[in-house]
Amino acid sequence: MSYQCLKVERRGPVGWIIFNRPDAGNAMDAAMFDELERAWLELDTDPDVRVIVNTGEGHAFQTGVDVAQLATDRDALRENARRTRDATLRFTAWHCQVWKPVIAAVNGVCAGGGLHFVADADIVIASSNATFIDPHVSVGQVVAYEGITLIRKSPMEPIVRMALVGRHERVDAARAHQLGIISEVVDPPDALREHAQALAEKVARNSPAAMAATKRALWGALESTGT
Amino acid sequence: MSYEHLIVERHGPVGWLINNRPDQLNAMNARMRDEFADAWIELDRDPDVRVIVHTGEGRAFQTGVDVAEIASDGVGMQRYRDSVENFDLHFTAWHQHVWKPVITAVNGICCGGGFHWVADADIVIAASDAQFFDPHVSVGQVVSIEAIGLIRKMPAEAVMRMAFMGRHERMGADRAYELGMISEIVDPPDRLRERAQELAETIAKNSPTAMAATKKALWGALEAGLTDACREGAKHLVSVWGHPDQEEGPRAFAEKREPQWQPLEPTTDTGTP
Repeated sequence: MSYQCLKVERRGPVGWIIFNRPDAGNAMDAAMFDELERAWLELDTDPDVRVIVNTGEGHAFQTGVDVAQLATDRDALRENARRTRDATLRFTAWHCQVWKPVIAAVNGVCAGGGLHFVADADIVIASSNATFIDPHVSVGQVVAYEGITLIRKSPMEPIVRMALVGRHERVDAARAHQLGIISEVVDPPDALREHAQALAEKVARNSPAAMAATKRALWGALESTGT
Repeated sequence: MSYEHLIVERHGPVGWLINNRPDQLNAMNARMRDEFADAWIELDRDPDVRVIVHTGEGRAFQTGVDVAEIASDGVGMQRYRDSVENFDLHFTAWHQHVWKPVITAVNGICCGGGFHWVADADIVIAASDAQFFDPHVSVGQVVSIEAIGLIRKMPAEAVMRMAFMGRHERMGADRAYELGMISEIVDPPDRLRERAQELAETIAKNSPTAMAATKKALWGALEAGLTDACREGAKHLVSVWGHPDQEEGPRAFAEKREPQWQPLEPTTDTGTP
């Protein structure tokens, strides 16, 4: 299968999904939305892939919806609006119900809708120059999905602060690590992929069946409010 | 409106609510409790107020209910008991369905019932000499509502430890920062209000409409399972589509100027708390 906006690769037991629109900050256009759904399903159904790593080309990890591109493609815009409204999005591993372990390796700026991929991954690591920022309210947009999931996975106050301060403040990798939004900071930054591969290979030594059931149990627990 | 135990002020787009019983370490008596209910509504309805800051006079931020005073006035204790039993509380922004951003700026001691305003704020900052502890169980009282809010917002172990250590241990601002209970430490402590005003003015630059909908989506998410919360959140997200702020925001960004946001529409939807 061929991809224009992504690179989809295999290295040993590890499948890689790499955002590949570096000149656009890896923002998601209509084609990337389609390709992401296809890529998650391709790697999830490939028996040789045990663990999936998600990262980006260039200076940014992911900067959310490419609003300008989407505005020129009315069918895609309408479809994205419908999925957003109906909560039937299909571009992250969680949306696509991937039960293999997913590692997000944040290689730079992660802004706005880019936080979907941090929220919906099982493990998140970042290069030491990574930054997290949510500019939605600074351009009149609302923060919902990404923030809703993140407040269950990390202390809530810093996520609400990021949502309400908008583009006027960034969270750096060191603070994200302290808060448990990510579990590891990789320095120097260009060692990120090598490190993510090594981490993924360690995870790949564990029982795929046990990990899939574990993942269902833990993510499923976020669905209930009590006992 | 005039207040005896609170100071309510406006500085630019920022509304201030200041606990003002410093000789009682800002403990909340019956009168103060009623004034909170009014003050939150007053600031929430004032179209010139975009963001609200809450802090205290003197060496404490808040030390909870003034049990001595409430028990001694004849009717206060029964009224207080009824309000708790029926969960009919009106003294925090969350109780009063305030959908403007609320910053709690903790000066000095925050203990016991003072945690209500840490749990129920959107953003919490603290002076470097702030101290947090929960003495309820040391005087035979139960920790409940404020800690229930906190364990959803931060690591639960730290909250349980405070609940069970009672008055015998205090948490400093530095540990509260590490845990994500607060997002900023202000040093020296006497710069707290200046910094809170600055932070509030920064937040006031964002779309009031988008911030109110964001707040509803995120706080509403605490009420539900993840998928249901995302479905509810989608409604809040979509509610702002077509709103003039969504044209103005990108245009202002492209033209390198501050956006001219629409005033926040008075809300009849009080949300879910």
